[in-house]
Amino acid sequence: MASTDMVDKDVLVDIFTRADLIMQSDIKFRQMIGAGQLQIVYYPVRGQEVVSSAMMAAVNQDDYLVTIYRGLHDQLAKGIPSKELWAEFAGKMTGTCKGKGGPMHITHPATGVMVTTGIVGSGIPIANGLGLASQLEKDGKVTVCCFGDGATNIGAFHEGLNMAQIWKLPVIFLCQNNLYGEHTHMRDTTGSASIKQRGEGLGMRSVQVNGNDASAMYTAAKEAVDHARAGNGPTLIEAMTFRFHGHLLGDTSHYIPKEEMEQAKKDDPMPILRQQLLDLQISEADVAAIEAKNAAIIEEAAQFALDSDYPPGDEYRIDVLDVEIAA
Amino acid sequence: MATEIRIPKLGFSMESGILAEWLVEDGAEVTAGQEIYALENEKSTQEVESPASGKLKIIVQADGEEYPVGELIGTIE
Repeated sequence: MASTDMVDKDVLVDIFTRADLIMQSDIKFRQMIGAGQLQIVYYPVRGQEVVSSAMMAAVNQDDYLVTIYRGLHDQLAKGIPSKELWAEFAGKMTGTCKGKGGPMHITHPATGVMVTTGIVGSGIPIANGLGLASQLEKDGKVTVCCFGDGATNIGAFHEGLNMAQIWKLPVIFLCQNNLYGEHTHMRDTTGSASIKQRGEGLGMRSVQVNGNDASAMYTAAKEAVDHARAGNGPTLIEAMTFRFHGHLLGDTSHYIPKEEMEQAKKDDPMPILRQQLLDLQISEADVAAIEAKNAAIIEEAAQFALDSDYPPGDEYRIDVLDVEIAA
Repeated sequence: MATEIRIPKLGFSMESGILAEWLVEDGAEVTAGQEIYALENEKSTQEVESPASGKLKIIVQADGEEYPVGELIGTIE
């Protein structure tokens, strides 16, 4: 894996601000679901905060994102307003999709979040479509497509990356490799030793990076974005990371050896990044202020979600097809 | 304001759970994130964390009964 120098202080603060919002949001979601206050299916993201935060710090708000149902970190890092996101997770009318998408289908074009899919690997061809549109319209935008290691065993991954490479589409394929596809370790499902190798096999510029290292991840992301924006085509980034909680909330991760989990938690990217800020002479008070601001945003968003109404029954007639369905 | 503790939905198909055991006593001071009770569902048992810090008030005793998702079983004040 490439090692890099530490990126600028301002960039690290930006990454930390996003990552802390994600971490605190994840904790709050797990608490509220655990207490039965929200009854939704939830895919925890704790442990993967830095990957998304560093990636999204390297793109613009009007660049596109396509992600997957473990996507809270990607969506928040991209800048979706917390209130609308929480309301959508809760299935409420005030959500990004009027409560009709739910947690697995978060969409918010205003911040470039074009689609969240519930089918593993299915976002890759969609990202190609967005990339092709940008190429044809010459709008200078790039598309980030997030997926996990398991998705690289789906046909759409190989076909999609091949096509993106042939057409030199401005797409960054961000594989967040947390080593487990649902309940199975990568070694039992994946023929190649790395995901990077798969990209290389398709002729694509491919890099493997420690996704939990904010500077290394940001540097890899920035290079891929610059490469795509310059018209040189896609990059596959294999960002090594880990998730600290089950595939979905309620899964006890019994298939992950205890030592492996303990080591991963010892390498928790969040305290490491926080310490990096302090080492750069950012004061404890300033870091605490970022955390307090995020906590306030989340409290407000969670309450907003609880207080909002579910969509009324006749809402099913609109937003589904191009025309309103007759009552 | 009291924080409610309800039977959570921990999985796609979960509609009810068995309140197996309270891990702390009624009236105890608990902290957010502390495991406070054991819940059985779909062949597995897991410890559920407290959503808040404060004094636990147990509403439903652990009697091995099955309760629907959303059932109020306690509060934290």
